[in-house]
Amino acid sequence: MKLDTSGFETSMPTIGFGSSNDMLDGFSTVPSFDLPRTTDFDGFQKEAVQMVKPAKGTTTLAFIFKEGVMVAADSRASMGGYISSQSVKKIIEINPYMLGTMAGGAADCQFWHRNLGIKCRLHELANKRRISVSGASKLLANMLYSYRGMGLSVGTMIAGWDETGPGLYYVDNEGGRLKGDRFSVGSGSPYAYGVLDSGYKFDMTVEEASELARRSIYHATFRDGASGGVASVYHVGPNGWKKLSGDDVGELHYHYYPVPPAIAEQVMEEAAAE
Amino acid sequence: MSIFEYNGSAVVAMVGKNCFAIASDRRLGVQLQTIATDFQRISKIHDRVFIALSGLATDVQTLYQRLVFRHKLYQLREERDMKPETFASLVSAILYEKRFGPYLCQPVIAGLGEDDKPFICTMDSIGAKELAKDFVVSGTASESLYGACEAMYKPDMEAEELFETISQALLSSVDRDCLSGWGGHVYVVTPTEIKERILKGRMD
Repeated sequence: MKLDTSGFETSMPTIGFGSSNDMLDGFSTVPSFDLPRTTDFDGFQKEAVQMVKPAKGTTTLAFIFKEGVMVAADSRASMGGYISSQSVKKIIEINPYMLGTMAGGAADCQFWHRNLGIKCRLHELANKRRISVSGASKLLANMLYSYRGMGLSVGTMIAGWDETGPGLYYVDNEGGRLKGDRFSVGSGSPYAYGVLDSGYKFDMTVEEASELARRSIYHATFRDGASGGVASVYHVGPNGWKKLSGDDVGELHYHYYPVPPAIAEQVMEEAAAE
Repeated sequence: MSIFEYNGSAVVAMVGKNCFAIASDRRLGVQLQTIATDFQRISKIHDRVFIALSGLATDVQTLYQRLVFRHKLYQLREERDMKPETFASLVSAILYEKRFGPYLCQPVIAGLGEDDKPFICTMDSIGAKELAKDFVVSGTASESLYGACEAMYKPDMEAEELFETISQALLSSVDRDCLSGWGGHVYVVTPTEIKERILKGRMD
């Protein structure tokens, strides 16, 4: 039986001035991209890197606990000071039992997560069993490593449930891949870590864990200018992922810190009761 | 990010029928981090003249203190309050004195002049006055504010309607700006009263 070595192929993208890879199975090799025709390639690449740099304005977090993995993110996209959207989906559904979070360039994250989903499905079909979280994150990390220095901006967490239980990996555009129990990525991550680390216990129920995740994202959106919008919380359990909540952080603020009614209103209420 | 965007701010003033409204956001930040949500940007010079300063927070505070000092001296010498047009010229002169090392802020001045006629103006950081008949804006959210005010403004609004209009314009503009917001502060001034209100906004 021939071993499937497609996962090992990490060749650099071929410098294609219109060369096509129609003959090859485009999915099992690294997708090749045309390179721009400029006189100053390095300068162009440097500008491209600078263009996506402000885009890591976000807050995403994920942690493993007794009942699985909790994944949460905000939904704001910012370009420097301007808010370009308050409703970006930053938790990407790779397949029914694996989630990826988006931080960095939106296009980069969406494309590579979808590409990862394709490779995971092909693995399932070739091997008649699901891919592990470790394997999936390794596939992504190897792909990103081969594009190191080209200006991709991806800071993602792969969270899922496989045969060994819950799994959580952090993968970034430098090609780094870390296994861990708790991660937060983005400009709002220091604030989220503060709340997450002080409230974390391994033995939490799903409700407690989702409330902790929601509060961590809320606090990050309060302090960080580049995070905001809607706090989405997902739970990955043995039967796959499930979206638990999507609360607007503007309303969450007044839920956690209600404004006491002004004295005049209180006086009027008493008069009506009489 | 430029030095004007270091602290983040949003300021707007509008003219109504024998009244004016001046509003600002309440955030004080250090680039993306929010430090305070109750920063005072609008200050009263006297009962009929208000100034709001956007830009670098340290210059906002220092410039305000200098202007209050100059106005108090004027009151002692002339035994009356300054007219808003005069005050605007004073601010412009003080800013131009620092032409080659300017205060990094952009003031918005609003007041009631002779016959209770409302007066508004804004300036850049070296004192170029821009008078307007309808509204003036300043700060990191100024482009959004221009759009919102242009769409929502009508001439000759009464005080209550003016308050609604300026509040909606301010809140919708700061909701598109990472560096300003976290509440709003509105003063509506008529010949008989000054009404100060705090707006409940999105705190993200």
